[in-house]
Amino acid sequence: MKSQSKTWNDPVLVAAVAPLAIVMLVFFLVPLAMTALLTFQTTQYYRLQWTWDLTIWTEIFSKPHYWTIMLRTVGMALICVVISILIAFPTAYALTTRLKTYSAQIQILIIFAFLTDAVLKTFGWILVLDRQGVANWLLSYLGLGPEAMDILFTPTGTMIGMVYNLAVYPMFTIYLSLARIDRDLVLASYDAGASRIRTFFEVTLPLSRPGLYSGAVLVFVLSLGAFLEPKVLGGGTSPLASELIRQSFETRVNWPLGAALTIVLIVIGALTLALAAAFVFRRTPAARRELA
Amino acid sequence: MATPIIDASHIVKDYGRVRALHGVSLEVGAGEFVALVGPSGCGKTTLLKILAGFEDITEGRLEIEGKDMRGVPAASRPTRMVFQKLALFPHKTVAQNIGFPLKLQKFDRAEIDRRVVAMLELMHLNPDYLDRFPAQLSGGEQQRVALARALVSHPGVLLLDEPMSALDAKLKKSLQAELKKLHRELGTSFVLVTHDLEEAMMLADKICVMRAGRMVQIGTPTDIYYRPANMFVAGFIGETNFLPVDVSGTLEGGLTVGSPLVAGQPVVMESGNVSEFLGEGNKALLIRPESIGFLAGEPGPGQWMLTGVVEEYFIKGSSTQYRVRVAGLDAPVVMDLPGSFELPAQVGEEVRIGFEPMRAFLLSE
Repeated sequence: MKSQSKTWNDPVLVAAVAPLAIVMLVFFLVPLAMTALLTFQTTQYYRLQWTWDLTIWTEIFSKPHYWTIMLRTVGMALICVVISILIAFPTAYALTTRLKTYSAQIQILIIFAFLTDAVLKTFGWILVLDRQGVANWLLSYLGLGPEAMDILFTPTGTMIGMVYNLAVYPMFTIYLSLARIDRDLVLASYDAGASRIRTFFEVTLPLSRPGLYSGAVLVFVLSLGAFLEPKVLGGGTSPLASELIRQSFETRVNWPLGAALTIVLIVIGALTLALAAAFVFRRTPAARRELA
Repeated sequence: MATPIIDASHIVKDYGRVRALHGVSLEVGAGEFVALVGPSGCGKTTLLKILAGFEDITEGRLEIEGKDMRGVPAASRPTRMVFQKLALFPHKTVAQNIGFPLKLQKFDRAEIDRRVVAMLELMHLNPDYLDRFPAQLSGGEQQRVALARALVSHPGVLLLDEPMSALDAKLKKSLQAELKKLHRELGTSFVLVTHDLEEAMMLADKICVMRAGRMVQIGTPTDIYYRPANMFVAGFIGETNFLPVDVSGTLEGGLTVGSPLVAGQPVVMESGNVSEFLGEGNKALLIRPESIGFLAGEPGPGQWMLTGVVEEYFIKGSSTQYRVRVAGLDAPVVMDLPGSFELPAQVGEEVRIGFEPMRAFLLSE
């Protein structure tokens, strides 16, 4: 506590942090507060009525339709986290071990793919997932699966697009964690008598947790706001929260509803993260957290 | 001697096109404390990693406890290593670190706890440390935890890779003493890699001096100190003086040694004072700093005298070191005199120094 008061008394530190603090205040906290305020207004003939009532909130809590979409969004986000991690971890692991020599080249390729516009990439997936697309052609060519599978315009299509666009985040955070692990720790584990698999679970995996968790959080937060994939690849058949919010603002011109749904999404996301954090911290001894 | 616990013969190790070890042989007896010494890049750490199983052998044969180690992974070898940077698992507590090898051997919890506590006692570590993490301990304490982890499963051989290089001088001294005591108590074979020959002499029964991927000399600390193979080995410990000499005759018939730099008659060296590795090249007499003294008058019989100018002196307490610049010698002559209240000579003073060449040691480059 002592050090904290010291920090605030240091004019240089305060000056250094001030610009960012002001930007966050003006462009994040104020709009957030305005959004929250908006939920207590009503609309009449597409015009905002400046009142103070709970009409929108009672509507949201009385219609299960909204909650279905919200829960679907969180569910899709969690599935996306799991699949992304399952793809990202082995990739990052290979880049720090077997493929270490080519690590730089492979990472450049991944970054190129990553920096290509998401809209372009997502539309590209239509060519792959279509009934007459590359995926179906390849499957039938190899004699796998039925004649033609419907992937495009299904939740599966949405999920493929989301994982494709987001798996790169945990790949990099996990890579950074893995690359920081001292090679001697792995040798020390072998030396103590541990097999490769045992060493992975006793040493490598626990020490890559920071990257694993931060990557998971990134994917989760970005998945909650997934907009492009459900529209382009999901075909709007099972909309997610972002589509619902867009419709409220644009199609129905009901800003209070859109604002309230936004707040609901933020709260659900924050609660999920808080639960996950509680779970992680419960399993991490206090002494180690202190050192992290 | 009984069968050695480690028998490495003609080990060759190539890294790509670079040859790190040129056919090195090493025997470690049961309960022996062996030190591998040499400057950085001499291959001592490579050899240790080969023993541990972290590196394979290009050519040669390695047997540990009578078994060929080709293709045997580190996990299945009876060796345990203490790493230079200790390599304690940062996410495991002290107890989990020490108990890790036992956990892998599937001992039950009670047995592991019992042995970990016993190890903690042996290492004079505070029992409250069991639930702490390595980063919460001091450097010396981490060192002891690393030793405890390596020794807890009673390995056949303990490998130590310069484990004390990061510690301050005082802590180093006390840990060295403890290591020696530990070795005596446990009877485990120790192989220590160090670049500090003084440390090796203090601790080891047998010292292997390495240079550029080859063994230069293997011997007891007294062998290495009093009968070094060549000037490289002799120059490796502390400060020594080399006096270039002219040699005539044969070892059998008596080697006659003389020098134009000194006042004194040529002498015939006894075989005990001649290196067994004496080669063709330049030869020199090795004169330890403690066997040179100031002369008041002319040299006595069997004594050689040099004249020079005092360049500097260092008062070390129990001894005083003088450096005397002698014309014709590249380096100043270093001499250690017993400490005394009055200094025998001042800087810039012209002095005569003397020694007995018969007591010196003849070696080649």
